[in-house]
Amino acid sequence: MAEILLYVQAALTDEAACADAHAAALATLCDTLALTDPDVLLGIVDVAYFAARLPGFLAAAAPGAVDQGDLPVFAARAIAEAVDILPQWAPTFAQHGAVEALRDRLLAADNIELAEECLRALDKISEECPDQCLRLAVAAAALHLFDFLSASKQKVALKIVAELVQECDDADVPKAMEAAPALCNLLQSADNSILESALSCLGMLAADARGKAEHMDRLCESKVIDTAMGLLDKDGWKTLGDDTLPGILGLLKHIASASEKAVNSLFDLGVCDLLKQMITYYSRSHSGSDKLEMLVEFIYQLMRPLGASGQENATTEQNAHIDQLASIVTLITQVAKCGALSSVCYRCIVVIGNIVELSTPTFLVELQKTANLSSFLTCLLARKNRHIVFQTLEVSKTLLKKHHQFFFESFTKEGVKHAIETIQAQEKNRNSSQKLKKKNNTQEWCLCFELDLDSSSTDGCKIENNAILNLAEEIKKSFVVVKANNKSPHRFGCVLKFVKDFFARLNRHALTVPTQDLDLCKELSDISRKFLSDELPSTSTFTFAKSGSTKYLVDYLSNGAYLKSNLNNCQDLAEQLKEVQHRLQKFTHLALKVSNGSSVKPLEILVDKLLDALHMSYDSFPVILSDHGQRTRESTMIPLRHSTTQESELLDIKFVKARREKELRSYGGVLPVSLSSKPGDIEAVLWPEVSKGNAQGSSRLMFSYKGTKLQPSATIFESLVRLMNAGQSDIMIDSSFWDEEHRISYNRNKCENVSSPSSCNTQLFAMQEKLEQSLVKDPFFSTLFHGRLPGDVDESDPSYNLLLTLKVLEGLNRFSYQLSMDQQICKFAEGYLRSLDDLKVTISPIPQHQFMSSLLTNKLEMQMQEGLFEDGLVPSWCVYLVETCPFLLSFSARWKYFCLTVHRSFMGDEASAPDGSSTPDEASASPDEEEESDAPNEASKKMKKHKVTRDNILESAASMMIKHGSSTKTIEVVFQGEVGTGRGPTFEFYSTVSHELQRLGIGMWRGDNARKAGENGFVRSGFGLFPQPWSSVGTSTRGIELSDVVKKFKLLGHVVARALLDGRILDIPLSKAFYKIMLGQELDIYDIPSFDPELGKTVMEFQALVKRKKFLEKSSEKTSNPSADLSYKNVRLEDLCLDFTLPGNSEYELVPGGSDKMVTLDNLEEYVNLIVDATLKGGIAKQVEAFKSAVNEVFALKTLRLFDEEEMERILCGEQDSWASSKLEDHIEFEHGYDASSPPIKSFLEILREFEREDQRAFLQFTTGAPQLPLGGLASLDPKLTVVRKQCDGNVDNELPSVNTCRHFIKLPPYSSKEIMKAKLKYALAEGLGSFHLS
Amino acid sequence: MALRRIVKELKDLQRDPPTSCSAGPVSSNDMFHWQATIMGPSDSPYSGGVFLVTIHFPPDYPFKPPKVAFKTKVFHPNINSNGNICLDILKDQWSPALTISKVLLSICSLLTDPNPDDPLVPEIAHMCKADRTRYESTARGWTHKYAMG
Repeated sequence: MAEILLYVQAALTDEAACADAHAAALATLCDTLALTDPDVLLGIVDVAYFAARLPGFLAAAAPGAVDQGDLPVFAARAIAEAVDILPQWAPTFAQHGAVEALRDRLLAADNIELAEECLRALDKISEECPDQCLRLAVAAAALHLFDFLSASKQKVALKIVAELVQECDDADVPKAMEAAPALCNLLQSADNSILESALSCLGMLAADARGKAEHMDRLCESKVIDTAMGLLDKDGWKTLGDDTLPGILGLLKHIASASEKAVNSLFDLGVCDLLKQMITYYSRSHSGSDKLEMLVEFIYQLMRPLGASGQENATTEQNAHIDQLASIVTLITQVAKCGALSSVCYRCIVVIGNIVELSTPTFLVELQKTANLSSFLTCLLARKNRHIVFQTLEVSKTLLKKHHQFFFESFTKEGVKHAIETIQAQEKNRNSSQKLKKKNNTQEWCLCFELDLDSSSTDGCKIENNAILNLAEEIKKSFVVVKANNKSPHRFGCVLKFVKDFFARLNRHALTVPTQDLDLCKELSDISRKFLSDELPSTSTFTFAKSGSTKYLVDYLSNGAYLKSNLNNCQDLAEQLKEVQHRLQKFTHLALKVSNGSSVKPLEILVDKLLDALHMSYDSFPVILSDHGQRTRESTMIPLRHSTTQESELLDIKFVKARREKELRSYGGVLPVSLSSKPGDIEAVLWPEVSKGNAQGSSRLMFSYKGTKLQPSATIFESLVRLMNAGQSDIMIDSSFWDEEHRISYNRNKCENVSSPSSCNTQLFAMQEKLEQSLVKDPFFSTLFHGRLPGDVDESDPSYNLLLTLKVLEGLNRFSYQLSMDQQICKFAEGYLRSLDDLKVTISPIPQHQFMSSLLTNKLEMQMQEGLFEDGLVPSWCVYLVETCPFLLSFSARWKYFCLTVHRSFMGDEASAPDGSSTPDEASASPDEEEESDAPNEASKKMKKHKVTRDNILESAASMMIKHGSSTKTIEVVFQGEVGTGRGPTFEFYSTVSHELQRLGIGMWRGDNARKAGENGFVRSGFGLFPQPWSSVGTSTRGIELSDVVKKFKLLGHVVARALLDGRILDIPLSKAFYKIMLGQELDIYDIPSFDPELGKTVMEFQALVKRKKFLEKSSEKTSNPSADLSYKNVRLEDLCLDFTLPGNSEYELVPGGSDKMVTLDNLEEYVNLIVDATLKGGIAKQVEAFKSAVNEVFALKTLRLFDEEEMERILCGEQDSWASSKLEDHIEFEHGYDASSPPIKSFLEILREFEREDQRAFLQFTTGAPQLPLGGLASLDPKLTVVRKQCDGNVDNELPSVNTCRHFIKLPPYSSKEIMKAKLKYALAEGLGSFHLS
Repeated sequence: MALRRIVKELKDLQRDPPTSCSAGPVSSNDMFHWQATIMGPSDSPYSGGVFLVTIHFPPDYPFKPPKVAFKTKVFHPNINSNGNICLDILKDQWSPALTISKVLLSICSLLTDPNPDDPLVPEIAHMCKADRTRYESTARGWTHKYAMG
């Protein structure tokens, strides 16, 4: 070896030798280097020699000299090999001019092969000696000829640049900048990885150049801004990779922070509009809080140059920029209010502070009107986070300084003034208590430097202990000055008084016994109307919350007196319920009625105010994030349901006996506690160890941490973390937390508190059960009757009353049809309504999504991004909200929650086994086996395959469900004798099975007995499928066995459960009422119209007649006019010739011998009750039971209760619709003045495509009379949906579209714009929907 | 139940037949399928015609409306080429209080007073509104051709 090297050295030293000889020697050298062991080389190679010699060969030949042949290539390769093997040689080479030589060669660009070798060499050298390389401008050289390099070398080149830029110090920035133009070009690369690398290089470059405007300007000259904005423009940002967008924003942020020029060109390129779009988009998605944070930070940096030049001589251009930015303020306030973490909010308030600082007073007045800054400030002042409070106070101060008079008034109205006074008092308290305690054990996370680009800042927190107090006092002083000057009475005072007065009155009523005093009722109803329609819209959230509204409203509706009085029999309860129902009906009617001219229903405003007030309860729902699992989940991803966490996190907790406890033995050991364990779980383990006697009772032990009792409803983990971080509004768990051993003391639980209210509740519950109206069995009514939220909640928490009120209003909205119909029936009974044809509901509920709280949704989303969520890091508020107030959370957030938690309710064997031993084969798999087993094997662990036959698909499906139904793995289907596997066949399987279950003649669904066989042999039900009643006497009808029907329902249950777990989609139009059954809700007479309008209508009319008869009988004691007019639409009931059999099935006798018993006025009540029972309960009980138990075999059906019936349909049947496709125009016909190219038709089709699912249903209901399309969608609608031109006299835009449901005609006026058309359509749909149940 | 009611309606019809129409089951072994005849009202262009109408009772009659259709071709804005009739009491305004006899009478009055504002056949409706004479003469022509055989 050594000889070879000597030979090479000799050959190279010989100046006279020709280039070829040198090349040969170098080739040998390369081989030697590549093949020899590094340690050996280290001993024998004279590095200094080669380092001195090789660059010489590299150097370009002088002009006119002989061609060097391969010599430079070999030289470069030799250097590359050398530094590759022994990186410590790199500096030696660098000293001897290798870098310059390599660089020059790169720039000379005479040979691609040579260039690539040079890059290889430079790769290592730049790693070892970045400074030198930088100084020699290698960065720019590396990108020379970039396009000609092979893909792998392109990566190397970028790596070199990244390496150099990262290490760059101030002096070297200009040199590094030389690479900027080339990097900017790369931003247009189609290759995503190149784009991202180039971005990160530029980002680092920008960070290096921070604060130096001249460098930045240089960066700008290289068109970086135009290119970056080009990437974002025209919705480009939506398509960028996950890392690219942060890269671009980071880059722009750095540039903007230092260069005014850059800011100007950003504004010229429309950055504001772009930001608006992005902020809107990400705040709607509820899971992009990291992106929002970046966007707000970017805005902050955009303003720095604007502020720097001083306000006095701000140019008109700058003012224009500020104006543009100010239009984002409304958005930012929303982001701040709803942000899941304090850091987001802090950024927002700082940005708003900056905008306020730079704005003119008149402008701020305008801003107050559009964005309601004052209300926003009140909201933030209620936060616990001191940084946010401090900044908010600063903003308030600035606002007052800019326009004292105006903002003083608006501060008073919106509650800023009140909030500041509160803060002042709190701070005083805090200071005095701190002096006593001396120690402030929990320090809040400092946010002061969140927005600094220089992350190395180590200064202490800027907010000192007294800072907030001082600031608050300073602001308060300025209030006093104004008060002296201005004594005019505020309008605000009147409003507050009115609102307070209104609720106080309500409250007085709530406490009185049900009253017969009609005048009083009328007065109350008048004042309620005035409040809801006139005052509420202009009431500020602060006034609303301050007036005690929430408490009083619920008290009134639930008839507050009632809990306090002692009810001891059903009679009392029935009286009370009647009163409650009466109040609910009155209120519902007022709240859902659109009043004089306004398009908004009072309930919508009420809900908005409540949700806005809820923003102030930010601190009641702390997000808990663990330090080490930092946001492990992709924010947008719907998580897999089978989490494969290797080992679940455990806490070491030492349990010690409380000092004074005498009845128990001491334990003193350390127990590993899982994150999801609650005190009750520990008690079960600990009790046998520590008990002396054998005391009975449920909660025998009480646990406390540092003297604070642990809540039984929260996990031990959560309680610990919250107690340790009491001062913080978002909890970040320190890594030290996991290593520490925590001490928890236990003692005997003395107060066996099976408390008296709960026994009262059970009594109430029992009475409630006995009532005939099943309506009142819904949880909503339980909540209302009990006047409190269910479960173990802190009623003193500020959010409690808001949640309670929202829950009541949500229920009221959901049941508005039932309440209103009931009211109509009563009116008929009492003679206020003359004709049965007037039995109509005229109000329609507000959309369910209006109850969604962005704040809580964001918080839940953030919490679910935490990697330990599946392990049990689920704060109790999450569980509570999901179970009690699911309507506050967005559908997608709840769906994620379901996916992440459903594995806990698995019923399968595999899941019920203890965690560790569940899958022994997986656990024992040795690591190297895991290495080998790649995709297919990995998949098979999560997947099971099952073969089915096409000929007998239902039986195949049934046997598949028996075998794998409760598996925790995903099931895939293969058809016998076919090769296809995977999603395709599986989806086909599920949709085929769901079609088979809709066949005529299998006795499952209503409408099965239609004499005229439906088109294509399937049950056609425009209102969704609902089980057909089966008499409990007969077991077979028309050759169908009940047992077969029950089996099919069992199969349906399995299929539904499996489809839910595996994310499959069924093609089966189940009725909403059936989904309600699935969700455990009680059905009653008012649900019948939703799946059988004709029967429903008649049954309700009969019901009204029954009530009328009862009413007349009651009053006939006074007046002697019995059964004055008790005919059914002028026909004697006997003449209807109805007997006691189920309509549509004469074999189903409602009572024994029912086919000979005729319906008369006297037994009408019995008849109605029997029909309702047969249709909704008795007749379908076996089928429903089979269905439910089948689902329960897979997972607990009750876990689905966080969804409503519409959402269940979305989950099971998917979002796809036959008409959302581009084929829409193929299945719709245009006639009478329209064709597919008429402008109104184009708008019409666009509107249809934009429709949400609910709008689509409403549209179908409106045009075809049924909310659902037949199997096959629009294409199989007969007759086809047809759009014709509506002839209008006068102004077209005042007309409404109309329909002919016989012909599936929609008559559409040729509106002047798409917007008007959409508004008119929506209006018509909403109006049509109101009478839906009775149409 | 449905059967009992249908039998009752048949009896009522026989006992107290309406002036301008008659109805009864097609065959004695299927009471759910009837045929009816309607005499064209004298004050209408259908005067003199005899129109055949088929009636199908659903199993849940009288809770669901009967399906009624013309077998004889009729030129009328609310009756289409298949004989389908657009009449509210046969759709969402149905009520168990109605009977076949009342339905047939309603159809008679529909013949007298067409409702061109809510048409099933827009072409005829248009003609009916714009050129009443032409509509009437066409209707008479059709009656003559199809309903007097």
